[in-house]
Amino acid sequence: MSIESNYDSIDSEESIKSINIIKNYPKEKRYTLAILQDIQKEFNYIPRDIMVSISEYLNLPLSDIYSIATFYKSLSLKPKGKYIIKVCNGTACHIRGSNKLIEEISEMLEILPGETTEDGLFSIEIVNCLGACALAPVMVINGKYYGDMNKEKVKAVIDEYKGAI
Amino acid sequence: MKIKIDGNYYEGNLGETLLELAIRNNIDIPNLCHKSGLIGQGRCRLCMVEVTEGTKTKIVSSCVFPIKNGIEVSTSTENIIKIRKDIIMLLLLRTPNNEYIKSLAEEYNVVPPTRFVDVNSKENCILCGLCVKACESMGTNAISLVNRGTTKAVSTPYDDASKDCIGCGACADVCPTNNIKLVDKNNERNIWNKKFNLVPCSRCGKYYTTEQAINYVNKKLNTNEEPLCDSCKRKIIGEKFKESCQNIY
Repeated sequence: MSIESNYDSIDSEESIKSINIIKNYPKEKRYTLAILQDIQKEFNYIPRDIMVSISEYLNLPLSDIYSIATFYKSLSLKPKGKYIIKVCNGTACHIRGSNKLIEEISEMLEILPGETTEDGLFSIEIVNCLGACALAPVMVINGKYYGDMNKEKVKAVIDEYKGAI
Repeated sequence: MKIKIDGNYYEGNLGETLLELAIRNNIDIPNLCHKSGLIGQGRCRLCMVEVTEGTKTKIVSSCVFPIKNGIEVSTSTENIIKIRKDIIMLLLLRTPNNEYIKSLAEEYNVVPPTRFVDVNSKENCILCGLCVKACESMGTNAISLVNRGTTKAVSTPYDDASKDCIGCGACADVCPTNNIKLVDKNNERNIWNKKFNLVPCSRCGKYYTTEQAINYVNKKLNTNEEPLCDSCKRKIIGEKFKESCQNIY
């Protein structure tokens, strides 16, 4: 069964996008992770029906794909926020109060680390080292670094993101 | 080729692993994730032995170590016994209430750890992956190892009833710690959150396997045999054998 015929009836934007991503790769097992990464990038998570179509396209059991998707931290089965706040909890950041910073952000967005806000805007993740210890405590929002954080600064940064919408 | 194990020589076959050779000759090497037919896991590390080749001695997992000429194997040096005890102790920390692991600890004189242990733990899975391998060998691939680190587990995708599962029970059969729950009740089988109708043996009427498993096997082997349970199948083969013997004499 070809992937196109599977989706003839479903005409959503999501499925068209996912088909185009999947079809970029040859039908070989070794491209599983690459496809999953591209899907994660596009949708901010791995939707269940797309995981099924990947397994059909690559002719792999769904359990294999699920195993890979749950193994890597950069892949998520639940939708991640538009802005992913990665707070460093490496040694240097830890000593300079990253726990307080995480608490502060959690309180502000009313979610725990690993969760996503209801409006789908923010996710909090704790990472082990961002390699920018001189900036401790440091956090990264969608690739942008914010160093030497404290209560006031973090509030300003998040308000800025909230305001930009 | 001749392999020296604990001072005695044994005849080994090409391509055999050290553990297979040992099992064939009744040499005791404890193991959990090994099952003939599903070899090559090397996960539980309980089958560690010392291998000396020339002047070099190393510690290897015998279940994945292919035998070769000129090696000398020791299965119970001081070092190996210590490693074995450590591994069993760690397994006890993970599954402190599992009967099989507890009996293993007793057999190898391991004192149960008192620190860092959850005495009420209901964990029985040692994550050896034999069930996953069995499912893979069946060709069904319904279960896999999911997540990682402390949350690693064996499961079907999304913990749902898998469309690939045929309820054959191979996973429960190979599990060394009896962790996989297979419940046969009222002619129904429950496994991996999926319900199956059981099929009776056409001879003795015992409900023994699922419709899906029979269909799967028939489709794979391109046959359409009447459903027979293990003991009836054996009986029939025995009868046939007897008959053919009578014809000869």
